[in-house]
Amino acid sequence: MSVLVDRASRVLIYGIAGNFGRFSVRDLAAYGTKPVAGLAPGRAIRDVDGVPVYASAAAACREHGANAALVYVPAPMALDAVLEVIDAGCKVIVYPGDGLPVQDAIDMRAAAREHGTVLVGPNTPGVISPGEAKLGFMPSFCYTPGTLGVISRSGSLSYEACWRLSGEGLGQTTVIGIGGDPVKGLNAAEALELLHADATTAAIVYLGEIGGSDEDAVARYAARPDAKPTAALVVGAAAPPGKKMGHAAALVGSQADSQAAKVQTLRAAGVHVAAGLPQLAAAARSALARVNK
Amino acid sequence: MLMIEHAGKALLRSHGVAVPHGQLVRETADIEQWRGPYPAALKAQVSSGGRGKAGGVARVETPDEARAAALRLFDSEFQGERPSALLIEPWLGHERELYLSIVVDGGYGGYAVLYSPNGGVDIEAQQPSVYEVGPAHNFRAHALRALLSRAERDTALVERIVAMARRLLRVATVSDALTVEINPLAVIDGKLLALDAKIARDEAAAFRHADIAQECAHRRTHEAARVARALDNNLMMVALEGEIGLISGGAGMTMAVMDMIAAAGMRPACFLDCSSNPTPAGYRLAFALLDEDPAIKAILVSIFGGGTHIDRVARTMSEIMRERRCAKPVVFRMNGNGRDAADAIMTQAGLCNHQRLEDAVAAVHALGTRA
Repeated sequence: MSVLVDRASRVLIYGIAGNFGRFSVRDLAAYGTKPVAGLAPGRAIRDVDGVPVYASAAAACREHGANAALVYVPAPMALDAVLEVIDAGCKVIVYPGDGLPVQDAIDMRAAAREHGTVLVGPNTPGVISPGEAKLGFMPSFCYTPGTLGVISRSGSLSYEACWRLSGEGLGQTTVIGIGGDPVKGLNAAEALELLHADATTAAIVYLGEIGGSDEDAVARYAARPDAKPTAALVVGAAAPPGKKMGHAAALVGSQADSQAAKVQTLRAAGVHVAAGLPQLAAAARSALARVNK
Repeated sequence: MLMIEHAGKALLRSHGVAVPHGQLVRETADIEQWRGPYPAALKAQVSSGGRGKAGGVARVETPDEARAAALRLFDSEFQGERPSALLIEPWLGHERELYLSIVVDGGYGGYAVLYSPNGGVDIEAQQPSVYEVGPAHNFRAHALRALLSRAERDTALVERIVAMARRLLRVATVSDALTVEINPLAVIDGKLLALDAKIARDEAAAFRHADIAQECAHRRTHEAARVARALDNNLMMVALEGEIGLISGGAGMTMAVMDMIAAAGMRPACFLDCSSNPTPAGYRLAFALLDEDPAIKAILVSIFGGGTHIDRVARTMSEIMRERRCAKPVVFRMNGNGRDAADAIMTQAGLCNHQRLEDAVAAVHALGTRA
């Protein structure tokens, strides 16, 4: 089964005429997900590979029943674009862009929640339910259907991790990229609730990094008596303190931000924490072995 | 990006927050220009925390003492940072020192107000009261008032703190600040005065704040030359002290590979994430930066591309390897969107693209033991 996207998803691509937009038109269709309409602000074009282009998200949703959106616009335009697709009625929105001002992320998140919309991002490759549907630009070959629900703060790490899991026969129900920014449309706690409620997700794999407080949310979840077995990898052991490691939130400012402290917190809550990428599949297998016990 | 205190106070003043009348001292001779009263406070202007505990604030009774303190402060380092200037202010007697700040927290999905009735240098030991606001328009004075009433008996003071919190939240939104912290917030004759200002601006908002853009550019000039070159070209680089150069894509994978390099008993020479500029020019610069560093013995190219299409990267890599005039060994491990075409391009160029990261790291390790 799937969370957030499925075969009935009808996708609006905002910024359909750019490199990412054009790629996703082909890539989503190849995965069986329908890109039904697009927006191309500032460009006078009628369609991209047969997908019609509209002047407003409202018109695109009205004409084509779009219920999900993939928003490829640069940070200065992002808040307005996301507010537009929220107003147009899309219930699941992925905003992959990075470099978004935190204040805009706060406003996007608040608007999405007020409308009962799930916003995934910023700074994410999106969401994929292997074999079902995808709303994002992750490499499809990394994923196979299965029973693991995956949550990741990092896009690239989620590709590598899922490629490994799939190679070991450990498929996934849904993989959610929550993104590397401090304020997220969908944070770790909320992504966990989605996977917790999904009947086909047997166990959870969390991919974290230094900085921020998402790992605390994972530990709180794992300590619940009804929690699904959880495995995790936290990267950034070799990162020096006080330096931002690419992601806006990936910074060891205090002791609690460090990789070692996060691993300790997760282990204390009963999470199977992998020592490194090479041990991730084994940790996931340990979590799966605890299912129904 | 942490503003220096003087700039932070100017920002607060422009929003109607009372701050002491101070003067900036750029060199010791500027002390002569001080027309304010003594005793005065002389404060090192640095962007690192813990200044008070490190002796960065001096109380001076006379101009002679001020000159001596200025010489000492200009000659001191605070967490490796020399003060760019000093701030001289009247030393004000006050009844109490409070703590008040606005912070952004992902857990709340927005802003929070933090308050402690005991401000000062030991705030880390305090457990401040937290009002979780969320988006700024959710701020409710009555909610903060109810919270403060539990910690604070002086009702007139509670009203001033509530009004101040509202004003600081406004500073945060208008100026894209992630932290607006006043510690200590002094109470003088029942009124509030910001004795310090720690304001962190959001670098991502540089496109709508000329002052953030300017300050970011200025701070880059203090970075090591090669890090500045990388940052100027949208390559995210943090220089480390290792011997394995890393050209990578994506922050999470870059960190994961750094950890694997360290686990194999080697040391990464850098965090270098090229995913914001995955162009021929970007990768050429990445190689140039690592090739010219004599401490780097080998280079690992590790990219798992989603938005970055790996066949295009492979084409660029084969061109770079053909042109490159540096004997440092390079090990490749590229995977992701376009990987089949990438493998063909690499094979045709006579280059090995490792399928597994473990193999690539082992190959680097084998080189290292020979070097």
